[in-house]
Amino acid sequence: MKLITAVIKPFKLDDVRSALESFGVHGMTVSEASGYGRQKGHTEVYRGAEYTVDLVPKIRLEVLLDDSDVDDVVEVIVKTAQTGRIGDGKVWVTPVDGVVRVRTGERGVEAL
Amino acid sequence: MDRDADGTAAGLVVEHTLSTTSPASSAVRFQAAREAIIGAQGLPAAQRRRALSDVADRRISDLLGSSPPPGTSVVAVGGYGRRELLPGSDLDIVLVHDGTRSPEEVGAVADAVLYPLWDSGVPLDHSVRTPDEAAAVARSDLKVALGLLDARHVAGDPELTRRLAEASLADWRKLAAARLPELHEAVQARTARCGELAYLIEPDLVESYGGLRDTLVLRAIAASWVADWPHSTIVEESRSWLLTVRDALHRSTRRRSDRMLLQEQDDVASLLELLDADVLLRRVSEAGRAIGYASDVTWRSVQRALRSRTRRHLLSRRPTRRPLADGVVEYDGEAVLARKVDLEHDATLAVRAAAVAAQAGVPLAVATLERLVVETPDLPVPWPAAARDAFVRLLGAGRDGIPVWEDLEAAGLVVRWLPDWERIRHRPQRTPIHRHTVDRHSIEAVAEAAALARRVARPDLLLMGALLHDVGKGWPGDHSATGAVMAESMAARMGFDDDDVHTISELVRHHLLLPMVATTRDLDDPATTTLVADLVGSAERLELLSALTEADARAAGSLAWTPWRAALVRDLVRRVHARLADEDDTTEAGVSFVEPWARTLASSGAFEVLVSAPDVDQICRVTVVAPDRVGLLACAAGVLALHRLEVRGASVDTIDGSAVQVWRTVSMFGPPPDDQVLRQDLMLALEGSLDISGRLERRSAERRRSVIRTAPPRVQLLTDASQTASVLQVRAHDEPGLLHRVARVVADIGVAVRSAVVDTLGADVVDVFYLVGDDGGPVNPEVAELVRDRVCEALEGRA
Repeated sequence: MKLITAVIKPFKLDDVRSALESFGVHGMTVSEASGYGRQKGHTEVYRGAEYTVDLVPKIRLEVLLDDSDVDDVVEVIVKTAQTGRIGDGKVWVTPVDGVVRVRTGERGVEAL
Repeated sequence: MDRDADGTAAGLVVEHTLSTTSPASSAVRFQAAREAIIGAQGLPAAQRRRALSDVADRRISDLLGSSPPPGTSVVAVGGYGRRELLPGSDLDIVLVHDGTRSPEEVGAVADAVLYPLWDSGVPLDHSVRTPDEAAAVARSDLKVALGLLDARHVAGDPELTRRLAEASLADWRKLAAARLPELHEAVQARTARCGELAYLIEPDLVESYGGLRDTLVLRAIAASWVADWPHSTIVEESRSWLLTVRDALHRSTRRRSDRMLLQEQDDVASLLELLDADVLLRRVSEAGRAIGYASDVTWRSVQRALRSRTRRHLLSRRPTRRPLADGVVEYDGEAVLARKVDLEHDATLAVRAAAVAAQAGVPLAVATLERLVVETPDLPVPWPAAARDAFVRLLGAGRDGIPVWEDLEAAGLVVRWLPDWERIRHRPQRTPIHRHTVDRHSIEAVAEAAALARRVARPDLLLMGALLHDVGKGWPGDHSATGAVMAESMAARMGFDDDDVHTISELVRHHLLLPMVATTRDLDDPATTTLVADLVGSAERLELLSALTEADARAAGSLAWTPWRAALVRDLVRRVHARLADEDDTTEAGVSFVEPWARTLASSGAFEVLVSAPDVDQICRVTVVAPDRVGLLACAAGVLALHRLEVRGASVDTIDGSAVQVWRTVSMFGPPPDDQVLRQDLMLALEGSLDISGRLERRSAERRRSVIRTAPPRVQLLTDASQTASVLQVRAHDEPGLLHRVARVVADIGVAVRSAVVDTLGADVVDVFYLVGDDGGPVNPEVAELVRDRVCEALEGRA
């Protein structure tokens, strides 16, 4: 089992979600996140006052999957979230040792 | 034996069997009786509460036996004392003894009564005390003191119970002056913790302000003889309704929690045979508002009564009386009507009085409110300017004005002014981000908007947008679109001009636009910026919309305005603003406001002051024509303030070396002063023989310092606004003499004001000064910054 974590631009959430749903992924965790990568904090002048954009607002999306689906799902996310500009985000995959469904106590792949 | 005798005999046998059954089976019978009552279908809730309490009474009498030991009694206190037991309620009892029994004897009685009750699984709260001990505990524990006010005899020596009850009540009355402030603090702490029943979507029926706990507080206050409570019938009805809802809640959840969560409301509504959860919440909200209002009023009279008690000892000082505005005075901490007001012909009096009270941070007295409701005529449609202006000032009081608004609302005045408000009154809303009913959310948004007043050029429109942004929720369909239509008709009714009506309506239509676009569209895409810029239309409206968005979200709750969301919205606004600023053609006002006759006067170098008669909106136009000089504006503004003329707006221009000032003023008290008096004073002021600053200073020291919190002033240099002058913009909360202070600071630095536009929008002032140096061009940047900093200091020194 793997955990796919994607950090994407907020406006891409709806697209990514529907793409994943049509692929057959029905569960995910979405949270508001802020951060920076190479698209770093910069200073803006707005209405005569300077302010620093330290952290750029992003969406963090997490999906738990069976190993066999991982490559396809990563592909779907990357394709849908891409705008080609700085700040499109990242997707990474981490191995997961175990999963339990809280309601039933099912474990492993059954719990996905 | 005949049948009758048979029956009687059988009855006796049963009696006998009952009284000799084992303790265990009698406990079982008690339990069964309770279960039967709790499960009984169709039993009215009030009867159920009483039946539960009666069956407990009988059980305790049984346990104490037919000949209880002399000198002891069992007393019910709290909810049980009031015969209001709910299925999950504690059985609150005091075992009273007269102190003559040995500890062992008392212990034996306690064991005989308390253990079996405990064993039967009923939640029990008990104590064993002599009347003196009970009184001592009550003196240090408020909860015990309140509980004892409901003391009721259950079993044992009735004389002992009577002594306890009488002593508790006498103590409560004697110590009221100390206990009531303590109680008030507890109530305030509870309100901070549990919110107000009337406005919460998931209220606590007992602990929220205006809930059941507060009806007990009202009774306790009445029992102390310090103050009585108004509207007692409606409070009793509300109380009984809340008890019924609480009963249904307990039966539905089978828990003791009094907080009515969204997920439980459908069940409770159907148990109560109501149409749906909205009807339930609306009725709970109405009850909460009635009790809350009665509590507000009662606490105010408690404070007055206690103040006058202490005052008696302090050389009998009389309560303070200060005039607040024409027809309204502050008397003993409340706004009341002055002696000679003409209620029957003054349609705008109610809204003016409300605005004055809100701005002064004092409540309207109950009797005043009642007279305003009954005696003042309806506002004409469209509203006169005085009413509209006062209404905006009422909104501009911000968070500290909410109590005045709620009083008006409870008295029905808000709906009388704005009939469409009725559709959102007490209206619950089922979304995870909202915590308040629609009407209260709107008022919370107004309070948040008032705090953002300095961000916009038109705070009045921002406040109106905040008030009306959700008004469409009273109707089917998309509430932004419906709301825009409603807002348009409401704003027109209030007499805003066509442009303003349109802006208010557009603010309502687009109040969700910015957060929606910011979170779902690509901000880097120029099409996104274009879309928003086209919908919004102007930089001024964007500024209003961005402030409204923030106010709305902050009012909804912390979830709706996270730094994350704020950053996205701010980014969008910045981009759209850049787009709109490109399009905006910022030119200085081209059309002169100066009329030909004034122009002629100015060219002749005359020195004249002319005062027009008040127009329909009570506005007096004061025209000043005088040879221009540094300090003229400050002197003129000061003379007007000295004569108690409130500046609503002004335009100042220079023609051929003469200044022409046109002031739109409202006389605060009585008719406006004569032309010649003003001219004379202005002359003296210019000569330096009239100490305006000193006199205004003294007057403001006598005036009541406003206690309401307002947004801090904002003073800015607008760098791109003019080629020929330095432009200083001042936004601040209005107060008498403000313009004089600002102009004085500018004059003291030696800078001339070539022209100026002064606007008072409700309680907020937006002033723009075009400053010129000796050469007639813009002043040098360092001087301009000095002016800005000094003005800022002068204003903040007041805040």
